[in-house]
Amino acid sequence: MLFTTFSFVVFLFAVLAIFYALPHPARPYLLLGASLAFYMAWNPKYVVLILGLITIDYAAALWIAGREGPGRRIVLFVSLCANIGLLGWFKYANFLRETWLRIAHPGAPVMPLDIILPLGISFHTFQSISYVVDVYRGEQQAIRNYTDYALFVAFFPQLVAGPIVRAREFFADYFHWRPPTAAEWNRGFAMILTGYVKKLVCADQFALVANAYFNDPAAFPGRMPAWTGTIAFGLQIFFDFSGYTDIAIGLALLLGFHFPQNFRRPYLSASITEFWRRWHMTLSRWLRDYIYISLGGSRRGKARTYANLMLTMLFGGLWHGASWSFVVWGGYHGLLLAIERAVFGKEERRGLVRIPLIIVTFTLVSIGWVFFRAGTLNSAFHIIGQMFSPIPGNSLMGPWQSRLALLTLGIAIAEEYCGAFTWLTEASVWTRAIAAVAALIAIEIFSAADQPIPFIYFQF
Amino acid sequence: MLAFFGVDASLFRSAWYLQFLEPGSSAGSVEEYLYWLRQQPPGAVPEVVVVGDSRIAEGFAARQANARLDDRVKFWNFGIPGTSPRDWYYILRDADPSRRRFAAIVLAIDHYADDDSFSSPEDSFVDLNFVIGRLKLSDCWSFAMSMKKWEYRTGAMSGCLFKGLTLRRDVRALLVDRAERLARIADWRLNGLGYVSGYGGSAETLRGLSVDWSHRTIQFPPGAKPWQKESVQSVVTGLPPPQTGDMTRYRERWLGGILNLYKASPTRIILVQVPRGPAPNPRQRAPAQFIRTIAGRPRVKTIPSEMFHDLERPDVFADGVHLNAEGRVLFSDRLTDQVATILAND
Repeated sequence: MLFTTFSFVVFLFAVLAIFYALPHPARPYLLLGASLAFYMAWNPKYVVLILGLITIDYAAALWIAGREGPGRRIVLFVSLCANIGLLGWFKYANFLRETWLRIAHPGAPVMPLDIILPLGISFHTFQSISYVVDVYRGEQQAIRNYTDYALFVAFFPQLVAGPIVRAREFFADYFHWRPPTAAEWNRGFAMILTGYVKKLVCADQFALVANAYFNDPAAFPGRMPAWTGTIAFGLQIFFDFSGYTDIAIGLALLLGFHFPQNFRRPYLSASITEFWRRWHMTLSRWLRDYIYISLGGSRRGKARTYANLMLTMLFGGLWHGASWSFVVWGGYHGLLLAIERAVFGKEERRGLVRIPLIIVTFTLVSIGWVFFRAGTLNSAFHIIGQMFSPIPGNSLMGPWQSRLALLTLGIAIAEEYCGAFTWLTEASVWTRAIAAVAALIAIEIFSAADQPIPFIYFQF
Repeated sequence: MLAFFGVDASLFRSAWYLQFLEPGSSAGSVEEYLYWLRQQPPGAVPEVVVVGDSRIAEGFAARQANARLDDRVKFWNFGIPGTSPRDWYYILRDADPSRRRFAAIVLAIDHYADDDSFSSPEDSFVDLNFVIGRLKLSDCWSFAMSMKKWEYRTGAMSGCLFKGLTLRRDVRALLVDRAERLARIADWRLNGLGYVSGYGGSAETLRGLSVDWSHRTIQFPPGAKPWQKESVQSVVTGLPPPQTGDMTRYRERWLGGILNLYKASPTRIILVQVPRGPAPNPRQRAPAQFIRTIAGRPRVKTIPSEMFHDLERPDVFADGVHLNAEGRVLFSDRLTDQVATILAND
């Protein structure tokens, strides 16, 4: 059930209507039932899997919270093994097997195992791991009620592609639930609408260019196709993922939950470090808190700091997908972060100097996207070669995409420096109505695809 | 939401946007025909409209028919490629609101037999594109539910409720290229009917084609073009689909709907089977159930299918289903004579 389908809209309105019609004690059961139904709409059999993980982590956290001594570490280990093991089997079994067979039997054909990746497994396992680790660290109380914990993991707005919510954030709203204020209703609807515009009008439009290029890069030789195809993908993935996140955050807000921000205009970053503070912020936070800091962070000298950055980003790359191109993408970002740390330290740039740095950062990030999208390393290196080819070639972006890119850049700058979105959600009812009508008309007329295009991050 | 419905309705539900449709598009072609009809109010001579798909667009010459009857009858060629009886229903409903404009309406169908095909005619989603300018809010439910698959039903419902969804490609193309679009619209409105009437038919021929239906083999004439071969092959070599009665139900719904529109009208409804192909299958798979059910209804006539059997030969066909210029002349004359006879006898 994609967020962009008619059936989801019907599902959402039904859940909202019943949620507010029910007495408060019954609402968690409704939300859990709706979340599991949402999950089962994709594949009913796999509900056993998510419920199994929920049960293991729920019991592990209770065990850890109620005891002292080395047994806690063993139970934490069991819980981590369950989560990482399941994630590893579904996501990385083919990758590891293929890598091993290519080393052991070079040249032999490799038939992949028939494994279907469960919906949102990368997200809900990370969320579960963070909960159990937080309980182990004493930063989170164990949740006593199974339904409460199950809802935290399976809550449908963020089940499939985040944001990766920490238990204390979720339960702060859950245990002190209050109905959304009028301003929150406005903001929730505005975010949902913005998310749909980002996905249907922007992401799907840039997808036309990106897919045309990356599906057959050899058909478009030259610098311009390589750069415009790659930039189109960079814009597609941003609008796709941040659109999904906006919808998720908006939905949660309508149900009285406050999810953390996941994107903050990342392409206006003046460094790679800043980019990762603005891009998929909840994943960056997770990687920082549970990988980078666990490895020692920056407390063990410069060389170890750079190594930790590299390892963290390699892990981040591998989290996105099971292929060497994702590993290279993560390593590329780790390397850039390490170089940046070595050369510039933690210095933040302000003023006009940001402009050239934003351009440089955007260029570096765009080159990284080639590894993310190309599918194979050979293809990625071919495209990067084309980016610096002496043949100019033609731009693949048509007038629509070019104008849309400029328009969205203008909106991003307005939001960055004037808080345009916040201003709009607090503006007069007439201004909001005009903006909402404009957004709906934009969705109606400018949505690019006839058939719903799945969100990119659904595959992770 | 109310404001959105209001803006959407004022843009697309009113006739405002229809004047900007691309003339060659599905919706645009329907609206152009209706525009020409509105521009020429009924005159002293009786009018006959021949409604059909590309077989009529290629195979019938209204100008020749008028001349054959010394302009004592005015023929309209409403052969719009890609349309189907469901589209014709909505087009005729709006083309002739009084149900008295036409002396006769000729409904040209490909086959009197209710042969089913693998793709159900009910699920022809493209129909939405043709009649989007004709669908009222009150039509949305019945139009959407006339499709079989739920995905088409929901698509048709949303496309009918929010017409901008259906017309979005047209709107986007207009915004990119306003000046040229407006020039095309002006030219088409002024001269388009002349272009349609002046069309002489295809110069291609399949002379020399032979088909062995018992072995489903085809002998193409030398020089046959790939698209000609493809159109013949699709008819001859395709596996026979299971006969489920879909076509009968579909015709009862939509052709029957047209008959019901004109139930209390003096307009005659004439059904004609256009020449089926250069070498039609001698075995008929399904009975002509619909034609049987309407036999005997007042002011409804069926031209016998045998009337055009001698035109079902390769030299008067351009491809597997469309008559060529020579066939167009022969078919137009003969259909004109048949219509004239029916009008005279009534």
